[in-house]
Amino acid sequence: MKGAELVLQVLQQHGVDTIFGYPGGAIMPIYDALYQSDVKHYLCRHEQGGAFSAIGYARASGKVGVCMATSGPGATNLITSLADAMLDSVPVVAITGQVSQAVMGTDAFQEIDVLGLSLAVTKHSFMVRSVAELAATLHEAFAIAQSGRPGPVLVDIPKDVQLAEIAYQAEHAKASKAASVHTSLANAGKARALIAAAQKPMAYIGGGVHMAGAMSQLQQFLTANPMPSVTTLKAMGSVAKDNAHYLGMLGMHGTQAANLAVQQCDLLICLGARFDDRVTGNLQKFAPHAKVIHVDIDPAEINKVRFAHVALLGDMKQILPAISAGTNCADWLAQCAQLKQQYGWRYDHPGERIYAPLMLKQLSERMPDNSVVCCDVGQHQMWVAQHMRFSSPRNHLSSGGLGTMGFGLPAAIGAKLARPQDTVITVSGDGSFMMNVQELATIKRFRLPVKIVIVDNQRLGMVKQWQQLFFNERYSETDLSDNPDFVALAAAFAIPGHCITRKDEVESALEAMFTWPGPYLLHVCIDDKDNVWPLVPPGAANEEMITEAKA
Amino acid sequence: MNHVLNITATNTPAVVERLLQVTRYRGYELAGLQLTPRHDAKSLNITLTVSGDKPIHLLTSQLHKLYDVQQLELAGSELAVLSA
Ligand SMILES: Cc1ncc(C[n+]2csc(CCOP(=O)(O)OP(=O)(O)O)c2C)c(N)n1
Ligand SMILES: [Mg+2]
Repeated sequence: MKGAELVLQVLQQHGVDTIFGYPGGAIMPIYDALYQSDVKHYLCRHEQGGAFSAIGYARASGKVGVCMATSGPGATNLITSLADAMLDSVPVVAITGQVSQAVMGTDAFQEIDVLGLSLAVTKHSFMVRSVAELAATLHEAFAIAQSGRPGPVLVDIPKDVQLAEIAYQAEHAKASKAASVHTSLANAGKARALIAAAQKPMAYIGGGVHMAGAMSQLQQFLTANPMPSVTTLKAMGSVAKDNAHYLGMLGMHGTQAANLAVQQCDLLICLGARFDDRVTGNLQKFAPHAKVIHVDIDPAEINKVRFAHVALLGDMKQILPAISAGTNCADWLAQCAQLKQQYGWRYDHPGERIYAPLMLKQLSERMPDNSVVCCDVGQHQMWVAQHMRFSSPRNHLSSGGLGTMGFGLPAAIGAKLARPQDTVITVSGDGSFMMNVQELATIKRFRLPVKIVIVDNQRLGMVKQWQQLFFNERYSETDLSDNPDFVALAAAFAIPGHCITRKDEVESALEAMFTWPGPYLLHVCIDDKDNVWPLVPPGAANEEMITEAKA
Repeated sequence: MNHVLNITATNTPAVVERLLQVTRYRGYELAGLQLTPRHDAKSLNITLTVSGDKPIHLLTSQLHKLYDVQQLELAGSELAVLSA
């Protein structure tokens, strides 16, 4: 068979039945092989969108997402999405066509040094030099993408390698096994001692917990060691909804209760998180009284930005039970419950205009169980994290580390294909939506019943908020009041829609959206003056939150 | 402050670029680089000397993660000598 057919065989060996991509000259042999393959290819309308769909697929399912692109512009269009997968540790395999080796290095048509470009945005990358290496390289790519801390892997395949003949028997090829993770419990005793002695323990939960498959171990840990908990953006949905001690998201737009409690705690148990600057605010002033227990799979995260008194490396599933010690902190639990009560969200917003936090709360209450919400980036993204509840981090896909506008719509396509039984909703902003709007064509072609909610403030709202607060209200290039008619735009892709402007329209509009069997766009107009609160200003400690009243 | 790292790496086309890219991105300067293929030419012995004020573990822990790096040891650094 040809190298191109081998590629598809190996994909199938890894259980891949869904891929996202866009054809072009240097990857034509693989597209030719696809023509009669069982692997289902979803044509995106921009490679960035295709790779975001692969990310959405991976994040919603826990499997590896696969995307493909041609050489040159196809491959460069993947870069942003690979960077997104890198910073959020998403297992993705990207396959790119490359010009034939005979012309490589001559600035051939559509030749770009993709291997060189990949260095900063992938966990690892390969250039395949001979068809004899092709199968082993692809197996390795899958192993690397999933092992340890997951991440994106790129495989660049020259056209002549795709065309070369090779005798390949899939059943004889053994998938190279992912390097098993070494777990050290040597420090578990120290961790137990700290937990047992803590008067104000706090669990700080990141995306690493669910990615390790340790959701049930986490609930058991929190039950056996009652303590307040907070989550990062990526870990929303990690703590069971009935856990009374959960305080919400921490950080720049976290809840006041979460931030105030973290600042007071005397032991911070960091589980699969990395002290990102959006979480810590002023690092020197973050959780100033706390000793730190840090549990992670990536040794490079230990002591990277915050000193850990005790570090445990490896498999979260084994570590969590091993550090369970029992807590005795009734006063602290009561104090945190009081904070939670005192600083609860308020939805009694005056006026008849739609208040996005309330609308999202209504959406959250109305959406079917196990719905997946895919966000874009900006104020609406923070409102989703603040006002919607999720039963699993796989149900809340948000571009965390890279904060990439344009993520939501294509990610929703991937999520819908990964979980066809579940409702998938994109919550996008009027700015972000336009960044990958072309993917409406993908939704149209495959009649994907994705629900699209555009929170339209006619602004690049998050940037506008910073201009208002920190740049003397100089609103440079953040006005979008000449937005297109979004409902008409959707109609051009045969997607029905509806526009609402008043609070009293919300419930019936949500009902109509969920009742409609196919894709649907709900255009929600809000006041351009609404901002996200609370907010920790740059350079400030997390207890110095600005709230609406103070601003 | 100079740090000398002795690295054994798989001899893949981009391996040196990867080492240098991580070194630069993590905020260290290149102060010396030597490489010799091992006898079978499948691996390289690399001596990477870097300078930087940050603790060297911030660099070594990232270099360790490179898939092509087989072995990495800190041969010496002024810091280590001073604190010994
Ligand atoms: C690709 C990309 N470009 C620029 C930014 C910077 N940025 C962050 S939020 C934002 C505004 C987003 O506007 P919109 O999608 O309308 O969301 P809103 O904040 O108004 O809810 C911008 C420009 C980004 N995060 N991503
Ligand atoms: Mg907006």
